[in-house]
Amino acid sequence: MEESTLDAPVKKLEIRGFLQLDAILRKRYGSMPFYFEIEAPISGLALSEILGIERKDIEVIFVNGFVHELEYIIHPGDRIAFLPPGCPGPYRIALGFYGKNQGNEAAFKIQK
Amino acid sequence: MHKFIRIDMTTLTSTVSEVPAKYVGLGGRALTSNFVNDEVNPTCHPLGKNNKIVFAPGLLSGTAAANSGRMSVGSKSPLTGTIKESNTGGSSSQMLAKMGIKAFVIEGMPSEDKFYVIKLDMNGVTIEEAPAEIIGGCGNYDAIRILGEKYGKHVGVAIIGPAGEYRLPSANISFKDPEGNIRSAGRGGLGAVLGSKKVKAIIIDETGAGKVEIANPEAFMAANKVFSKALLDHPVSGQGLGLYGTDVLVNILNEAGGLPSYNFTSGRIDHNDNISGETMNATITERGGEGKVSHGCHKGCVIRCSQWYTDKEGKYITSGFEYETIWGLGADAGIEDLDAIAYIDRAMDDVGVDSIETAVAVATAMDGGLIPWGDGKAVLEIVKDMAKPTPLARIIAGGAGAVGSLCGLYRTPVVKNQAIPAYDPRAIKGIGLTYATTTMGADHTAGYCISGNILKVGANIDPLKKEGQIEYARAMQIGTAAIDSTGMCLFIYFGVADNPAGYQALIDMINAQYGLSLTANDVDELGKSVLKVERDFNKRAGFTNAHDRLPEFMEYEPIMPHNVVWDFTPEEIDEVMNF
Repeated sequence: MEESTLDAPVKKLEIRGFLQLDAILRKRYGSMPFYFEIEAPISGLALSEILGIERKDIEVIFVNGFVHELEYIIHPGDRIAFLPPGCPGPYRIALGFYGKNQGNEAAFKIQK
Repeated sequence: MHKFIRIDMTTLTSTVSEVPAKYVGLGGRALTSNFVNDEVNPTCHPLGKNNKIVFAPGLLSGTAAANSGRMSVGSKSPLTGTIKESNTGGSSSQMLAKMGIKAFVIEGMPSEDKFYVIKLDMNGVTIEEAPAEIIGGCGNYDAIRILGEKYGKHVGVAIIGPAGEYRLPSANISFKDPEGNIRSAGRGGLGAVLGSKKVKAIIIDETGAGKVEIANPEAFMAANKVFSKALLDHPVSGQGLGLYGTDVLVNILNEAGGLPSYNFTSGRIDHNDNISGETMNATITERGGEGKVSHGCHKGCVIRCSQWYTDKEGKYITSGFEYETIWGLGADAGIEDLDAIAYIDRAMDDVGVDSIETAVAVATAMDGGLIPWGDGKAVLEIVKDMAKPTPLARIIAGGAGAVGSLCGLYRTPVVKNQAIPAYDPRAIKGIGLTYATTTMGADHTAGYCISGNILKVGANIDPLKKEGQIEYARAMQIGTAAIDSTGMCLFIYFGVADNPAGYQALIDMINAQYGLSLTANDVDELGKSVLKVERDFNKRAGFTNAHDRLPEFMEYEPIMPHNVVWDFTPEEIDEVMNF
């Protein structure tokens, strides 16, 4: 009799990257989305470092469809997307990027 | 002397005069909306002899200002019954400005049942019968080529397709871009208004025109340098729109749960990867040939969000392949193949219909059982049939509201009978307030631009909550009404929202051109005045606050994945326009 997996914790993250991260991560991990296993909660920043995503390539992250700052804590089983700077239109305000980005000078302001 | 031209299609005559004093300081949407409010009877039939249609370049059009080549077209809309301003890229706006033409108006209606071509050049206006080969089913691509052979490759062209000739409510006005392809003043059925006046095309020949007069050239150039840098340095120009077009929004809206799908029954799809901007970029790059991942729709565009999308052999299919079109057909109607969507986009440009209204009408028809879900081949044939038009093609070109009525659907995504575009109001509430309250009927571009002071409110915005959304929707609409009056592409917002110097540079350019000393507050007041004029027209046409509402189904049908409904009260909605 096979062991039931119904009670086993879901450890895999479902991960996407948008804009230039789409091609980079697709090539690195073979598909979009790709799946990545974690044992314990981890910050978005720590996950990005593990995945080799540069800090300058992230404006915000999506976690289960909600916009969050990069320091937000991700849990096993979450659906994640990394979004680089470059989202057009008023949507950076309408979707709540501004509120999550007050300390993100490098990603948000005009390059001097 | 700046010229104000009136073309009377009843008598087939024209007059050229100085610009009326009231309109001297206005351009673009500010001019068209003031004119329509002044001269069009709000209760007239939009397709009758008493409606008028006005074309106006923006305040900065024709100058060296980056991204200043937009043209506004204003009239009473046959789709919404409201005032309408629809603007477009292409070459015509810059040509008109260089010719010193502040605006031209087409009014009246000829008695004979034949179509005409109006030609504007430095000698004035000529009105002649349209060539037979471009009437009665000829697509816009061929018609623009034929007109180019007759009038010269260099001329600007504004034209209606077969849909405009048949006065279908989704008919748009197409404008030739620098390469002879098509840009559109898409929304609100203004192609039907032009068709009702029997105007097939307008030719603009700038031969002999000089440069736009600049009161203070040095200050203008300095401001333009700052402005252009603000645009070019912003990541949305280099990393966003320039590489992936507006279609970059498919993945973002899908992830946010705000991508209306299957006639607004879900906020997310599984086949987003098939139709995303990232996939479009990869496909164009891989196919090579005539494909371009980046392209400007008018001279002086530095954002270059357009592209040339190609077939498998690398041959051009369509350009200006926008997010809203791809969303409408790909997510809302469930057509999973980007090539199929591209061919439908080309067909919509060719027959001359608004790609948003048509795509939402298609999805509504699928919900109503008229077309199988996701059937791209069937949709392509229906759109091509709009050139005849068959009864089904007429129904779809009647717009989403007409389709919903004919199919007996309560789930009809329109405001003031205009289809709701690609951002679900339940999951992105600020945009929902704009859809409800804009003078134009549901229109995402009515709330696109802001001045810097909204950013304090913006910091607190959560798309799923009410806090700050009323202020957001109000400020966005005021800012947009002002920017629409400059001739600037709305996408300049990206650069100026994060960079106060960029916004000031925009104002400095207007001041330098006209010898003015406007402040940011003056620009804000201009935006407010435009909205008040438009609301005055709508009020006299019979519209009240009760029309500023989203469709009722959004109040009780939650959208996944966030499981949210539209929950603003009428009193809260009415606060948006309380200024």
